[in-house]
Amino acid sequence: MVFCRRDFIFGGILVLAMSGRPLGAIAAEPARVVQAWYRLVLELVRHTPTYTPPVASRSFAYVGVTAFEAVASGNPKLKSLAGQVQGLKPVPLREAGQEFHEAVVLHAALASIIRHLFANTGPTGQRAMNAMGSKLGAKVADGVASDVAARSEAYGRTVAAHIQAWAAEDGGAVIENMGFPLQMDLPKGSQDWAPTNLVRQQQLPLLPDWGKNRTFAMPNGASCKIPPPPTYSEYQASAFYAEALEVYEARKNITEDETAIARFWADDAMLSKTPPGHWIHIAMNALQKEQADVARSVEVLARLGIGLADAFIGCWEAKYQYNLLRPVSYIRRVMDPKWEPILLTPPFPEYPSGHSTQSGAAAEVLTQLFGEDYAFVDNAQDDEGLPPRSFASFRAAAQEAGISRLYGGIHFRAAIVNGLEQGRCIAAFTNALRTRR
Amino acid sequence: MLRFFLLLAFFIPLVAQAAPVTPRFVEETAVSGINSTFTGDWEYMVGGGVAVFDCDGDGFEDMLLAGGTSRATFYRNDSKPGGELKFAAVQSGLELDKVAGAYPLDIDSDTITDIVLLRVGENVVMRGLGGCRFERANEAWGFAGGNAWSTAFAAMWEKGASWPSLAVGNYIDLTQEEFPWGSCTENWLHRGAQKGFAAPVALKPSYCALSMLFTDWNRSGSPSLRVSNDREYYKGGQEQLWHLEVGKEPRLYTEAEGWKRLRIWGMGIASADLNADGYPDYFLTSMADNKLQILKSVEGELKPDYADVAWAKGVTAQRPYVGGEIKPSTAWHAQFEDVNNDGLTDLFVAKGNVTAMPDFAMKDPNNLLVQATDGKFVEMGEQARVASFETSRGAGLADFNHDGLLDLVVVNRGSKAQIWRNVTAGAGNWIALRLTQPAPNVDAIGARVEVKNGEVVTQREITSGGGHVSGQLGWVHFGLGKTEAAQVRVIWPDGAVGEWETVKAGARVMVGRP
Repeated sequence: MVFCRRDFIFGGILVLAMSGRPLGAIAAEPARVVQAWYRLVLELVRHTPTYTPPVASRSFAYVGVTAFEAVASGNPKLKSLAGQVQGLKPVPLREAGQEFHEAVVLHAALASIIRHLFANTGPTGQRAMNAMGSKLGAKVADGVASDVAARSEAYGRTVAAHIQAWAAEDGGAVIENMGFPLQMDLPKGSQDWAPTNLVRQQQLPLLPDWGKNRTFAMPNGASCKIPPPPTYSEYQASAFYAEALEVYEARKNITEDETAIARFWADDAMLSKTPPGHWIHIAMNALQKEQADVARSVEVLARLGIGLADAFIGCWEAKYQYNLLRPVSYIRRVMDPKWEPILLTPPFPEYPSGHSTQSGAAAEVLTQLFGEDYAFVDNAQDDEGLPPRSFASFRAAAQEAGISRLYGGIHFRAAIVNGLEQGRCIAAFTNALRTRR
Repeated sequence: MLRFFLLLAFFIPLVAQAAPVTPRFVEETAVSGINSTFTGDWEYMVGGGVAVFDCDGDGFEDMLLAGGTSRATFYRNDSKPGGELKFAAVQSGLELDKVAGAYPLDIDSDTITDIVLLRVGENVVMRGLGGCRFERANEAWGFAGGNAWSTAFAAMWEKGASWPSLAVGNYIDLTQEEFPWGSCTENWLHRGAQKGFAAPVALKPSYCALSMLFTDWNRSGSPSLRVSNDREYYKGGQEQLWHLEVGKEPRLYTEAEGWKRLRIWGMGIASADLNADGYPDYFLTSMADNKLQILKSVEGELKPDYADVAWAKGVTAQRPYVGGEIKPSTAWHAQFEDVNNDGLTDLFVAKGNVTAMPDFAMKDPNNLLVQATDGKFVEMGEQARVASFETSRGAGLADFNHDGLLDLVVVNRGSKAQIWRNVTAGAGNWIALRLTQPAPNVDAIGARVEVKNGEVVTQREITSGGGHVSGQLGWVHFGLGKTEAAQVRVIWPDGAVGEWETVKAGARVMVGRP
């Protein structure tokens, strides 16, 4: 069974297709609380205006850490991330000798941090968060002694407040003008990034300072340096021209399957759950398939969130170091003025490929958690009407995510190859975290 | 031979202008008698609209303002020629609650205008009884009003049909609280039957339409249905163009036919032939940048493949131009009209935050984009004094006081509707036409009016639909600039081409078909 929309319908009743059991019997299971809130988060990242992929990755990290710390605070087998990730201090301890209800703690923590991170979502998102909060809140507290419920809810909020305060200092908390600078001197060299569309807001590149944000597991945004791209040249014998020609020819001779691959991994901002959301979706399917308990669920989601967030910081640090132009700019200038890529070209520098870096990181994190040859079916694009794709491993999926950007005409090969490698390097820091005692 | 009836004329002094004349408006809400607010919470975050039409036969256009949770209000136009705008709220039978938008249309072709009420709940067709009285006609006409959140409308007469085909666009499934995304309710096509309407058919897939327009985009003689959809709520969706052929199921234009996928927060459609290529261009409102689409090629077999020239023409209107906010705008109703009578079509856009969306402008002024002789548009909302910071939605431009200048009414969410009188000094000449033909389709929906002003031929398609839940039926206004007489002809809905006739500037003319 894979995670799909109909599995989590709250209409007073939570239906779980996997178990077939009525909600009333299992709604209070904390793992289900995680699944329910994450499903909503995957919608919110699509429908909240500031949620470009880097911003989404940051929230996945903070939501994951919140859930993990809320659960770890009551589970002696789990080891807190405090002191392991940058700047996180231990969450306040639970009141000794008092009873807590784990689902209520977790629900309160998630409701609180998600409301904070998505405070700027529109009226429909607000309505959805309120409905989820009230309906799921009532369900998890059903049958719980009122003093226990109140204590648990208060503690969950305390955990969220602790994470919220930590998050406020990372450099990514405030997003203005949807992440696009209002003023910026664009370098004008032939090799430099230039706007690729006619959207007024996107004439300056997205989040140029994101690479300076505080990282989670890796020391800083420059911890995983990558080699420079091929030297810019318009000579036909040059390596750079050859890379551009590869993109041009790929578009010209694209197959049906390559087109499907490009669209499957498009994950456009504000039109999808975003690239990091795509990998969260994959992880949720894997957790649901193994009927993971709450400890396993929050461990996986926290680690994946951290890996994704670090990947975007590292990638963005490199993007603005090299500030390379997109294929559409080069090909139209040098090869074919009417050339059109299959995908929408994202409004920021080309090198390295963000999807490649974060997919490379995600694959390494999930491989450590689920195994080397974890075969799975990815149905993340069901909503878009695109058929599921099958993969023999997470790394195979990451490879396809990477090459999809070449098929789509938005990246050169070097950005993909080195992006995947950068992701692997970044994931090593995440994989070194200890979440079990 | 066409029959032209001169009803009345109001002469505007001829003034030569090299640069666009700055339009000037005076807000007369306080003295106009208009006192209507579109109210409601989440279920009314889109809408409300205004219907502009003449229901008492005096030639002056009256209006119905949607009220949301409040009742809709009908206003009889009591303005005097050239005077202040004056309206009186009178009982009409249209005073229903839950009305989000309204479109006038003579559905039964009895020469008395009827009204379609789009509602959060059952839609209602209201038969005009004359004297600005209306009665419910759902049952009499076999109109299934459904029970949805209806947010778009368009109408046309298919070839040979006695009754119109009505397209209704629907929005989100109201029952989906936690996960409303992807829950777009099906749109409906109510096709005209022998008398009344057949059971509606679903226009699947449906993607949360906020505007629809039957438009003969390729001058084939068979209008297609353009649908502008809100990407916030659909999954796998896009903008749409439907084939609608007599006796056949509606079908979407495909990429193989030239249609290109476009995903925007589609909220309103306005059309006009801006580049005089003989084909309508389309302005699509959205959040942040708006779109202005022109056909990429008019050579050979036409494909519905459009270039976005909003930037080049100066109509992206992506953020406020006054008020100090730099966040992106949210655009709703759009309407092409010539507000300074210089012979160049201008563009009004209603703006307003959805509801507490902090990443979009809260003080979001409406736009009045005035076309210059180079084909580019210049923002003149502030100079024209129509830069309202209310949360605007629907609107209408009409010459309410018959002074030859188009006035403006705007519906706001959560605050009073506003009305402005156009007092532009130095405006050009004008004519106003109203088409009429024998039943059915007495108002000639689907016709095309051509006005020759010197060497320039301005075309106008007579449509029912588009905008943002706001419709008009009545005078069609053309600015003439310095020209004192224009050549006019009509291509009637069945394709019959009328002859060129001369209409003197300042004339208000009923154009009848023999």
